Amino acid sequence: MDDHDKGLVAAGAALVWRRQRVLWWVYVVNLALGLLGTAGARTQLEHLLKHSLAGESLSKGFDLGMFFELVNVPDANLMRSMRSSLLFVLLFPLFMLFVTGGILSVYREDRRFTAGDFFAASGAFFWRFVRLALFSLIPFGILGAAYSGVRRLADYIGDRAVPAETWFYVMLAGCAVVVLLVLFVRLWFDIAQVRAVVQNEPRMWPNLWKSLGITWRQARTLFRVYLCISGVAWVTLAVGLFIWAKLPPTVTPLTFLLLQFLVFMQLATRLWQRASAVTWYKRHAAVVPADAVDFTTPAPVEFVDAYSVPPESAVPASPPEAAPPEGPTAGESPRPGETSA
Amino acid sequence: MRFTLKSRSVCTLFLLAAAFAHAQSPFAPKVTGPLSQRVVAYQIDAKYDPAQHAVDATETLTYHNLTGQPLDHFPFHLYLNGFQPDATWVAEAHRDGNFRTSNFDGAWDPKHSGSNTVTSLEVLGMGDVTKQIKFIAPDDGNLKDKTVIDVALPHPVPPGQNVVFKIKFRAVFPEVVARTGYKRTFLLAGQWFPKVGVWWNGAWNCHQFHAMTEFFADFGTYDVKITLPKNYIIGATGVQMSDTDNGNGTKTVAFHAEDVHDFAWTADPNYKVVESTFNGSVGAVEIRLLTYESNKSSWQRYIDVMQGSMKRFDDWYGPYPYAQITVVDPPHGAMEAGGMEYPTFITGDTTWWAPKGQKLFPEGVTEHEFGHQYWYAMVATNEFENAWLDEGINSYTEVKVCDSLYGKNTSLINWMGGQMGDRSLQRIEYVGVAETDSLAEPSFRDMSMGAYGGVTYGKTATMLLTLEAVVGEQELQKALHAYFMKYRFTHPTQEDFLRTVNEVAGQDLGWYWQQAVYGTQVLDYKVRRAESVRVDWANKDAPEEKKGETLYQTDVLVQRLGDFVFPVTAQIKFDNGETIREKWDGRDRWKRFVYLKKAQIESVEIDPDHQITMDRDYLNNSVATEAQRGAILKISTHWAFLTQFFAQMLSWLT
Repeated sequence: MDDHDKGLVAAGAALVWRRQRVLWWVYVVNLALGLLGTAGARTQLEHLLKHSLAGESLSKGFDLGMFFELVNVPDANLMRSMRSSLLFVLLFPLFMLFVTGGILSVYREDRRFTAGDFFAASGAFFWRFVRLALFSLIPFGILGAAYSGVRRLADYIGDRAVPAETWFYVMLAGCAVVVLLVLFVRLWFDIAQVRAVVQNEPRMWPNLWKSLGITWRQARTLFRVYLCISGVAWVTLAVGLFIWAKLPPTVTPLTFLLLQFLVFMQLATRLWQRASAVTWYKRHAAVVPADAVDFTTPAPVEFVDAYSVPPESAVPASPPEAAPPEGPTAGESPRPGETSA
Repeated sequence: MRFTLKSRSVCTLFLLAAAFAHAQSPFAPKVTGPLSQRVVAYQIDAKYDPAQHAVDATETLTYHNLTGQPLDHFPFHLYLNGFQPDATWVAEAHRDGNFRTSNFDGAWDPKHSGSNTVTSLEVLGMGDVTKQIKFIAPDDGNLKDKTVIDVALPHPVPPGQNVVFKIKFRAVFPEVVARTGYKRTFLLAGQWFPKVGVWWNGAWNCHQFHAMTEFFADFGTYDVKITLPKNYIIGATGVQMSDTDNGNGTKTVAFHAEDVHDFAWTADPNYKVVESTFNGSVGAVEIRLLTYESNKSSWQRYIDVMQGSMKRFDDWYGPYPYAQITVVDPPHGAMEAGGMEYPTFITGDTTWWAPKGQKLFPEGVTEHEFGHQYWYAMVATNEFENAWLDEGINSYTEVKVCDSLYGKNTSLINWMGGQMGDRSLQRIEYVGVAETDSLAEPSFRDMSMGAYGGVTYGKTATMLLTLEAVVGEQELQKALHAYFMKYRFTHPTQEDFLRTVNEVAGQDLGWYWQQAVYGTQVLDYKVRRAESVRVDWANKDAPEEKKGETLYQTDVLVQRLGDFVFPVTAQIKFDNGETIREKWDGRDRWKRFVYLKKAQIESVEIDPDHQITMDRDYLNNSVATEAQRGAILKISTHWAFLTQFFAQMLSWLT
């Protein structure tokens, strides 16, 4: 990480903090969907347990035997409730796909949006992000196949090895590689989304390839940022689950708060990654002025070498005097009609 | 307790010494044989070829005709032929899915094929009868099933006389399938030699190999020599008598066992040996664990559960009379070799990462397999026809021992905030198949593989746990003790067991046996109503309701939903702290209890001591007038969390 990118993680966190309204709204929607997804099961549970003493073994501990019986009661339909929960599980990614444009616009401009502005921005980028999401199926699919290959390799090696741990360690190593690759792909598509918003890029296929070039050349910086924030998410989750396992069985309100904190932190770290990506991009790119962005008919805007002439408003710290050898726009030049610094 | 680990060479020396020490007797110090009516004497000289996963052997079987009549033909089991594409075992496993294996759900894989081939069969004094061998299928008429042969003799064997068979055979093992086979260098050799059927109730009892049965054989003696590469560590039924280096890279290890009805062995150059001694009522018994370096974290757990189980069986049911018990911890990938019992030889199971808070592996499975030493190995009932007498009673004693060792509600799992007792596992198995098959039905005729498992294991265990509510826990323990001591080494029937319980309990439990053993009735009681109403409810001028002063009529209505009639207790609690217990014989379809009290009802609960584990639906056993939200909130909290968590994880892809 060169001097120019120092404090990127902190700057991303600060941006999330300043614009925490976005995070809270995302969390509220997640919580609402979670509660709606639980409603069916809760109704069934009320029917079965509200006036039965059978639930005592679940509230004063957690008797897995009783829980299995509960799940298997023929007229309980808890399995059907599970299917309705799945519906709400699927709704949230759609919601996030829709509002990502708005979220990135808020981070881009670092100001409070009205609801109208926010949803206008969300709507403006929605179909571009749908296209990106569809494109992402290709690399994620390839990585899915890679995971399956890792599994087959682990089975093959593990089956022939005497130490029982061999399978686990081969899987661990293989999965670690796959996870890092997944993280890289996520970073790549995040940059593409950031680029679509910050540069108001309308063409997603070329955008994708340019974003790949940027991500590849700046992988050392960006990937480290993403890995660092992911680490925070993973550690928080692990510590939270450890505490959860130690909580007394009867403190349901405290359990609720802890579990909600974990969900909140997962969402917060995800937005932290996005905020860091926007911050990085703003430091390195000529940003199209917000009022110049026509959401309905966006003008194609090309990424430029921001090291030479960074826009003052977008660069809080002084840029380095010399441009780095692997600038994000190496080899690119503005096309006629494109905005440049 | 001795607890030593040795390198292979040191171990071999130790085994030689141990073999010498045990050479005198296969029994514990205070036991002398014979313990059984010895019908058979097997002498087997086997050579193991690890490259082919095959054994070539010569078997000399001396059969003592104690049937009281001349015998002119003899059936033999060739169990390994069950692992052939056209065999009944494979057909059943493919049809239903075998709860012991999943290897036959899809296309046939030749690596799972096994075979027993008799290359010659000679009867001493009668000549070669190889050509008299014919395959028979007494259970289903499947002519392609080759798991039973019948040999007609030129002359009948008179009653009281011996007949000697000399059999040359080849056994080819499958990659581990349901209790037998190889994995890498590991071999578990179970059901590997031609084994004669049992003359029982006036006829030969020699069923085909079914996916839903286990085994049945006569007691006798076994002298088995196994030649194999000398770097292999070997364990087997009985005790090791000698270990001879043949000078050609192989060794021959001899084993001797008495008063057993089967012989299994295992070998692997990668085994580690862990030893301990159990000091029981008949003296010291060696516990020999064959395990792997990877499972080091489970070694002490194996030893602890063996010590605990042996102590409880010794105290509660009777002595373990043999000098040694061998416990095999199969390697990874050979799970289907785990959880199996042979005389003085059991296989457990574990993983290198097994958390201590879960006791299913290795504790639960090891306890279960040790319990078989009593019900399968010594009592030795006919598992083809009454599997519940072994697997079921053993599941019950597993619950009792595991409860005693690890706590009633935590004997299987006490980990990550969740608990589960072994009795819950038995109940879960039973509840799904409560009305499919009776225990008395021959197990290979059960509706499905799931029904076989649920009925044989789970239903028997819950049936006996429920019986405690009638005769008392201590009385049932005494009954099992009496049954074991009276019928060990005798092949009793289910009627012998039921009669023994009746005698010890001092009551005729026929009403219970008819429903729980011979019938398929479902036991289900329900609290239909629990309500308190002011007696002066019709009086408009009645005084204001006041706790402790207002008189209420309380109605409690309990109902029998299933056809299984069983006496129950209902516990009624009032808001003044008063608790009443009512008994109901359960014969009518419902029963009403009425109370006039200056208190309102708080709750009613059928079976408040939670003894009637056969009650199919626990959720309808109680009614509380106040809402019980604790469990609802807890489950909802976690349900919401999981919904939210998976939702945000999925959104990561967008």
